[in-house]
Amino acid sequence: MIVKQAKSVEDALELLSHYDNCKIIAGGTDIIIQMNEKKVQPKVLIDISKVEELKKIEEDGDFIKIGSAVTYTDIIESSIFEGNLSGFKKACRLVGSPQIRNRGTIGGNIVNASPAADSVPPLIALGAAAILESKNNVREVKVEDYFSHSETFGIREYEILTAIRFRKPKGVLTFAKLGLRKALAISRISIAALVELDKDNKVSFVRIASGSIGRYPMREHELEEFLQGKVFDDAVIDEAVKVLQGVMDVRLANRSSLPYKRRAVEAVLKEALGEVRK
Amino acid sequence: MINIKLNVNGKDYSLEIEEDKRLIDVLREDLRFTGVKEGCSEGECGACSVIMDGRIVNSCLVMAVQANGSSIVTVEGLVKDGELDPVQRAFIEKGATQCGYCTPGFIMAARAFLNRAKDPTREEIREAISGNLCRCTGYNKIVDAIEEAYRYEKGI
Repeated sequence: MIVKQAKSVEDALELLSHYDNCKIIAGGTDIIIQMNEKKVQPKVLIDISKVEELKKIEEDGDFIKIGSAVTYTDIIESSIFEGNLSGFKKACRLVGSPQIRNRGTIGGNIVNASPAADSVPPLIALGAAAILESKNNVREVKVEDYFSHSETFGIREYEILTAIRFRKPKGVLTFAKLGLRKALAISRISIAALVELDKDNKVSFVRIASGSIGRYPMREHELEEFLQGKVFDDAVIDEAVKVLQGVMDVRLANRSSLPYKRRAVEAVLKEALGEVRK
Repeated sequence: MINIKLNVNGKDYSLEIEEDKRLIDVLREDLRFTGVKEGCSEGECGACSVIMDGRIVNSCLVMAVQANGSSIVTVEGLVKDGELDPVQRAFIEKGATQCGYCTPGFIMAARAFLNRAKDPTREEIREAISGNLCRCTGYNKIVDAIEEAYRYEKGI
């Protein structure tokens, strides 16, 4: 194996098109383990962890753009994710350990497509898009579609995920997760909610995404439809738990984890929705 | 083979290494900083923790080439003018070590944390060492030691 350090995105794309059997490495927290286990055996490893243009968090008018090599620690320390976006920081703070958060990247969390990827549900709730570049093309895919239709929209071997982009929301983004142990826990269930309330405390906009309640992180449309227009009080949140449990009964039917998950989801959803009101 | 430049414990090195080496391999095998321990090899145990450009990282999860141009501090780099680092001193005085295999990793995680910490709570200290595992004796004395190290540094 040879390892090449890319100096720019252009450089990385050139290397990617030049060699066969390449893999991109950024934080390395997943791929180095996969290489140790011989699950991936690239001939060429292209390092993008020191490409400055991929390490920026930028505000561009109504949009926020996060470079794919931005680490969880970068997000946690950024002043951009305060106030109504602090739910994203919370999700990043709950990833792994200090060592993992210092290396692991937002882009890696998407392209490795773990069902338990902690930063993905908040990005889906934000309606974020992933920007995928190849030598001759740039395409934008909604993070939601990236996971739900990965054969169609997933990353190709000649592409690099360069950034995540989303419109600054008016509502409040929240996040809650259940892990078996606090640090380094692979998330069992996570929920991210983006909720906007009108002056009568009614839900005027809602987008909810879950992690580990299915084969990949996904939108919870039935839950959104139930909440839309409702007065956002304790009774509605209790009802919302039942709606999501109903969805899980169908989606996770015959899974041994269902009885546990349908009980555990109650606290997770209540925490996520409860934080909207704080 | 590839050439990389590293600054380790304040000293510059120019090395020719095999490209599939991880940072831990270069630190242990090429430079003989064997205070860096390999435990799980998958980022769970933290025994291989070193400070890279001011941040605590698992050196088993960094390719050596990725560290090209970086500054690394290992446990060997903490002694200044023959004096132990306050974290090392506190680990000894509080008995925060048993078999000792995890100790360098804990000390580096504590060092990285205390470099930025302000009046840390026990909860914050526990969070700071949440990427490190000790299988001998538990964590209370380790947390005690980190609290003590903070007091040494502040002179309180």
